[in-house]
Amino acid sequence: MFRIRFHGRGGQGMKTASRILGTAFFMEGYEVQDAPRYGAERRGAPIFAYVRADKSPVNERGVISHPDLVVVSDDTLVGMPAAGVMQGINQHTVMLINSHESAKTWQHRLNTRATIIILPAREDVEDRAELPYIGSSCAAACAALTNVISRDVFARALTEELEHLGDDIVKQNLDIALTAFDAMSPHVGIVKQSGLPSATDYKKPEWIELPYESAAISAPAIHAGVTSVEVRTGLWRTMRPIINYEKCSGCWWICSTYCPDGAINVSAEGLPDIDYEHCKGCLVCVAQCPPDAIEAIPEHVAKEQEMSGVSFSGDKA
Amino acid sequence: MIKESLVHFHRMKDMPSSHLLGTGTPMCAGCGGLEALHNMYDILGEKTVFVNAAGCMTLLSVYPFTPFRGGWLYTAMASAPAGAQGVRDAMDIRLQKKKLSEDDNMEVVVVTGDGSAYGMGLSATSGAIDRNLDFIYLCYDNEGYGNTGQQYSAATPHAAITSTSKGSHGYPGFKKDLFSIWAANRPAYVATIIGAESLDLAKKIEKLKTMKGPRMLIALAPCPPGWDYDPKLSVEIGRLAVQTGVWPLKEYIDGKVVHTKIPRQRKPVEEYLKLQGRFKHLFHPQRDEQGIAEIQARIDAYWEKVTE
Amino acid sequence: MTRKLLTGNSAAAWGARLAQVDYIPAFPITPQTEIIEDISIWIDNGEMDARMVTLESEHSMITAAGSAASSGVRVFTSTSSQGLLYGMEMVYTVAGWRVPFVMINVSRGLSAPITLEPDHNDIMAARDSGFLQIHCATCQEITDSVLMAYRLAEHKEIRVPAIVNQDGFYLSFTREPVELPDADKAAAFVGEFDPENLQFKGSAPLSQAMAVLGGGPYSYFRYEAHLAVQRVLSVYDEIADEFADTFGRRYDMIDNYQMDDAEYVFVMMGSFATKAHDAVDSLRNAGWKVGLARLRIFRPFPQEKIRQLLTGRRAVAVIDQNISMGMGGVLHSEFATALYGMKDAPAVLASYIGGLGGRDISQQEFFEMINEIKQACDKGEIPHPRLLYTQNELTEMRKLQAIAQAEHADINQSEIKQKETNKK
Repeated sequence: MFRIRFHGRGGQGMKTASRILGTAFFMEGYEVQDAPRYGAERRGAPIFAYVRADKSPVNERGVISHPDLVVVSDDTLVGMPAAGVMQGINQHTVMLINSHESAKTWQHRLNTRATIIILPAREDVEDRAELPYIGSSCAAACAALTNVISRDVFARALTEELEHLGDDIVKQNLDIALTAFDAMSPHVGIVKQSGLPSATDYKKPEWIELPYESAAISAPAIHAGVTSVEVRTGLWRTMRPIINYEKCSGCWWICSTYCPDGAINVSAEGLPDIDYEHCKGCLVCVAQCPPDAIEAIPEHVAKEQEMSGVSFSGDKA
Repeated sequence: MIKESLVHFHRMKDMPSSHLLGTGTPMCAGCGGLEALHNMYDILGEKTVFVNAAGCMTLLSVYPFTPFRGGWLYTAMASAPAGAQGVRDAMDIRLQKKKLSEDDNMEVVVVTGDGSAYGMGLSATSGAIDRNLDFIYLCYDNEGYGNTGQQYSAATPHAAITSTSKGSHGYPGFKKDLFSIWAANRPAYVATIIGAESLDLAKKIEKLKTMKGPRMLIALAPCPPGWDYDPKLSVEIGRLAVQTGVWPLKEYIDGKVVHTKIPRQRKPVEEYLKLQGRFKHLFHPQRDEQGIAEIQARIDAYWEKVTE
Repeated sequence: MTRKLLTGNSAAAWGARLAQVDYIPAFPITPQTEIIEDISIWIDNGEMDARMVTLESEHSMITAAGSAASSGVRVFTSTSSQGLLYGMEMVYTVAGWRVPFVMINVSRGLSAPITLEPDHNDIMAARDSGFLQIHCATCQEITDSVLMAYRLAEHKEIRVPAIVNQDGFYLSFTREPVELPDADKAAAFVGEFDPENLQFKGSAPLSQAMAVLGGGPYSYFRYEAHLAVQRVLSVYDEIADEFADTFGRRYDMIDNYQMDDAEYVFVMMGSFATKAHDAVDSLRNAGWKVGLARLRIFRPFPQEKIRQLLTGRRAVAVIDQNISMGMGGVLHSEFATALYGMKDAPAVLASYIGGLGGRDISQQEFFEMINEIKQACDKGEIPHPRLLYTQNELTEMRKLQAIAQAEHADINQSEIKQKETNKK
């Protein structure tokens, strides 16, 4: 059975990718099971989808814990524990990462025995949550790597899954996807299927007798305030709003009040200060700032600048 | 009621500079409902117990995370006002028996979406008003069953595309007038608010803090995924809702309805509609002049009758 | 014959469409909302000749479903968990009206705490209501079961409403290959809706569901409803035969896999049973004589078939994805009832509870269950019911509890610990 997991952000079309690939397998005569994994299914938030394909009916269910192929549409997700990209990856796994960086860099960075293949990233659009075609490209690359889906069948599958969006969109997606398909030709067949787990040689589940605990502990309740701050919703962000303090007129009551999440604090000097741990990148502040002092740049660009020591928050007056 | 020194909201500058509602909740980026809620929470403060019915905001608190400094109780879709009744009564009993100090007293605040408020929650709401329950009710109205994928509700406006009204003309029904239904029950206070008009919102919260009895609020909550627009437009769309007259800002108090903002020259409603994908069919592939005109006419008819 | 990839929700919607239903009272709830969305689109663009109405709650929705069925139309509706429970008064009521219709339940764990992922506590709550219950393990089975459910529900000797259950997420949002029955054949299979005497019309007086006072008459009506549900046991095989002849797929009341020579048996319901299917394969490869009995028809409870199937086996692991608070797994207790006093009943009928709120049951857990029941059998012991839970899960829970500052809530824990220590 092929066990394939897609990782992306809400809005990047991972559900579509899983469906295109699922349909392609199906057209090639495979039994298929595909599903998106809904979490907080929000734009920008990490989500995943999966596809299982086999010649006989697929009986396995749920999250894929031992993937043969892991596809990552947004490489900023790889280092994010919450995204779960590295779950269950071992030497058998092939990782396909949509990235500017090389396979060698990733291999070194992740220190993994998995095989890493790069799908060269296109950067037509600033906002990664709006990357068009990324779902189609990922699906195409996957299809090629399995070596059981022909180019023509893939094209048919994509057309079928996207036809409700109109001919133009289908054509655009197809052109770009097939480029990705072709780009994988040095690696076709690298993805290997895996079989059933062994019932003789297996890791015993560490079953416990769940201890009784008093209602004070075991009732569903939270006895602390504001624990939500531990959730870094800043990870959803694909565009980062940055205040240019030279233009900022200090009217914090505008941006700070309008931020739906309350992620703009006011400093002691009376200036707005964006909490990047939690800012979701909705950009309401950018739209509402009267002197236009807030600019949005792609999050991955902001991160790169951060890593290379560039301070981007400007000098606070 | 806990009396505090009154903060007077005259200008935007008077808005609170610290935000009490915790960040890190899974509401969508640009959520108009969250914006109204966090503005309200800043002013009401942490001596509040929020009682919730099923909807988007139910996910504010997912174990072990909560954005609240005070209380939160999730009940069920139809019965949040009944839940509020129990909490309020219990606290009053304990206050009376001196088992709860006045310092530890809390304001009970129901928060539900339009799905509950306009529909199956109406019975419990009506009952709570009948009983003159001393509580606040915030309905964040994103004009559909948002949490399940934006199906139409009784709050959906005419012609809106929703996932159960995908026909070429959108939703055939008309938005229910919840404000009037609540007002007919004669609670202490009813008001419409919106996050985009923060000052108006702040004044109303400040006012109802000093009152007792059922104090009811409907906040129009622009919804990026449900209404189909880029999240950064949330405040602009909210403002246009007021400027076009789609969302009248008004209060019911002492038996009368008074508008707190009367747009002098209303912007044409299409400026509001055209920013939202749910109304796209009114403009593409060609303009539906009749459809737009009908919507405009209904808004004009409303404002014709408004004297204050 | 079109075979396509469909989610469980789409498969359910297709079932309604192929059954040519007239009326769909609806209400949205995760994870079944796509069912009504699909139907809504079909009606809007003329592909389906039916009427859909969104009611304001599930209590109202189920009322409308029953009342429409009592007024002469073929009805379809669907819900899940909290919605099923909110309408529970009416679930019992409409079953007592003796009106036929089909309701999909997309199983989802119950509040509190509120969750979105599946288990079977919701559908268990409808167990005693008088609805038939069919439990599906695949998307194909959902479409097929809707058609069969109409035949059963509308059968002259039965005439009660039926629930077709599918697991949320694992079926509802998951695409699997479904061969859609040919529309004409499906229409012929379910037949025209015959309201019999169940229809309000000007020319015929009809009072339905009136009050009944007196234990005698009340008992009559209730016993008859029970006997009607049990009647399914007599008519089911004929309908299943007809379905198999028409569409080429056979659905028995209990779906058996590798049961011929099985010494050890898994008993399950729903989509997780396919995981047990794989486990059986792995175990067979390792030399075990193991099989799977998947209960498809839960109401009526096929006692006789269960007796025939399980007598003579060494040990049985009943896996419940539900929990009756203070008692344990529902399936387990019902199987124990069926097997009590039977000659050659399995020496070990073990209870495992898992899958609550969508908690996975791993292949390794299935393997370990078989090992456990074998050991129990060898030692002549009865294993305690096991709540499936691992050390790792508890460790993760402790981390969450630390964030929730559970220790601040615990005033009495040290007292309890002291009492336990004193007891020893």
